[in-house]
Amino acid sequence: MDFVLQGLVLLASPKVILVIMISAIYGLFVGAIPGLTATMAAALLIPFTFFMDPVPALVSIVTMSAMAIFAGDIPAALVRIPGTPSSAAYTQDSFELTKQGKAEMVLGVDVVFSAIGGLMGAIILMSSAPLLAEIAFTFTTFEYFWLAAMGLSATVMVSRGSQVKGALSMILGLFLSTIGVDITLGYPRFTFGSVELLNGVNFIPAMIGLFGVSEVIRSVMQGELAYPIARVRAEKIFSGMWKLFRRYKVNVLRSGLLGTFIGILPGAGADIAAWIAYAFSKRGSKEPEKYGVGSIEAIVDSGTANNSCLAGDWVPALVFGIPGDSITAIVIGVLFMKGLRPGPLIFEQQPEILYAVYIAFIIANLLMIPFGYLSIKCSSQMLRVPRNILMPGILMFSIVGSFAINNTIFDVGVMLVMGVIGFFLEANGFPVAPVVLGIVLGPIVEKNFMMSMIKTEWDVTQFFTRPVSAILCIITLLIWFFPLFMTVLQKAKARKPG
Amino acid sequence: MKQNDVIAGGIFIALGIFIFTQTISYPSPEKGHPGPGLFPNILAILFIGFGSTLIFKARKPLSKDEMEIASGPKRVSNALFVLGIVALYVVLVNSVGFLITSAVLLFVLMKKLGVTLLKSAVASIVITLFINLMFSKILRVPLPIGILGW
Repeated sequence: MDFVLQGLVLLASPKVILVIMISAIYGLFVGAIPGLTATMAAALLIPFTFFMDPVPALVSIVTMSAMAIFAGDIPAALVRIPGTPSSAAYTQDSFELTKQGKAEMVLGVDVVFSAIGGLMGAIILMSSAPLLAEIAFTFTTFEYFWLAAMGLSATVMVSRGSQVKGALSMILGLFLSTIGVDITLGYPRFTFGSVELLNGVNFIPAMIGLFGVSEVIRSVMQGELAYPIARVRAEKIFSGMWKLFRRYKVNVLRSGLLGTFIGILPGAGADIAAWIAYAFSKRGSKEPEKYGVGSIEAIVDSGTANNSCLAGDWVPALVFGIPGDSITAIVIGVLFMKGLRPGPLIFEQQPEILYAVYIAFIIANLLMIPFGYLSIKCSSQMLRVPRNILMPGILMFSIVGSFAINNTIFDVGVMLVMGVIGFFLEANGFPVAPVVLGIVLGPIVEKNFMMSMIKTEWDVTQFFTRPVSAILCIITLLIWFFPLFMTVLQKAKARKPG
Repeated sequence: MKQNDVIAGGIFIALGIFIFTQTISYPSPEKGHPGPGLFPNILAILFIGFGSTLIFKARKPLSKDEMEIASGPKRVSNALFVLGIVALYVVLVNSVGFLITSAVLLFVLMKKLGVTLLKSAVASIVITLFINLMFSKILRVPLPIGILGW
């Protein structure tokens, strides 16, 4: 319990409390507005966190993301549009129940089970991260190479839609990471004589472009959306929750664990956790016929899973410096810029950073109950914010945020180019998250590979003969051959008569 | 046949070939071991490999989900307008200053998106002052002040 006290002391300053409050409101707002994702919220938040100390910066991102993932459920229930991709899995069920006059129950489940899921994830994060850090201490460049390779492989495998497109997105990210001075000989690569590109593509403007500007472009192309908003009596949302919890306690436990585990997998974020929990929920349910036409069980399961996933995402990020999803990828990018190296050394040298993250998760999920209630009360006002004023505002924020990091107009150009790339990728069905993971993991893969090779005078066998290396290598290969294995299995099943 | 996938695949293959043309001139460390060119060359091979796979797979007919992506209302002029606004900001901000550039560009963009005259005027000024407060006053980022001194 020692770290809890230390963490609380860190967070007890009025400044940090103010940061938590503002981040919570910001997260709820962004999450509740369809089209604005939690990743975009993180990208727009980094110019601010860049100027903060590490503790409030991390606390701010944790609080914001927890609130945003919950708030994405609000428009799913009220207007049948998920506020963030993480609510997409159960949007249909939420809205069907709203049509049956059960909007209060749906939103109550959204708040309460998001908070429970988030707390479960936080507990698993707090207990597993120090244990894994012990293992991580024994890792050398060989193991880090495999970890990053594993992360990249998992990113492609779990990307929704075409895996070929997921792979191309990731390779594009890796390529962007090679721009700038190379690490072995200091030779400038793909800079075309530009001094600004010598240090590589600036990470923060790139993220703001990929997730902010691309979203603005997409939104202005759609024009103004008009939707009827279901009415909801916020004061009634908590009635019957205890009964539901007792009825579905096994579901909550299963989905909380599942969500956290998916979070720990590099590259898989809350949206994927929700889809997988939904599938598991339907398979285990006594009432599978209700799924898709209004199942509260589905909402309990996926709502728990997507919030527990958030804490899971931080496990590989803190322990190995390998991001669990696009938000933690952004966090790692920011930590690097601040000269902090996520990895096992943090556990010895800067434990306050860990405590801050742990405690922030607990506080954010406890605050979710009152803040969630208030946001549901204000939901119809939030959903009526005119997009044609909001989007220009976000665009100007993006421009100034990109400029602010280095005070250079060049970065605004980087933002614009990345915004256009992000827009075209998404418009053609290429997932954007693998690009970020590629940008963050690219240098880790290359640096650890080259360092290992130089150390051993190009003895490649070391990558396979060191025990931990060999295990990580086998896991990576298993990830690669998993789809092939599944196809063979399906064909074999299809061949069986009956 | 998914035309967009064929074009995208072609772009990625071209990018792969372009990387090869660049890495030829990269130096290599002593003993002929691979150096700065190794990683980009691997990526180039992957670009060409996956790009070709994408084109090969594009021969299949469109699925229902992809049809939805392909259709839907498109207002390309709005998108180009957004890009133009950012470009104009880059060109103007150092000489005109942040406050005027931001307020004017926001106003123009909102008008283009169909906001009424009064609302556009008020919203563009409020957003500009808010951003100025956040960045210039709280974060102390020196935003360009321009020839007029603001």
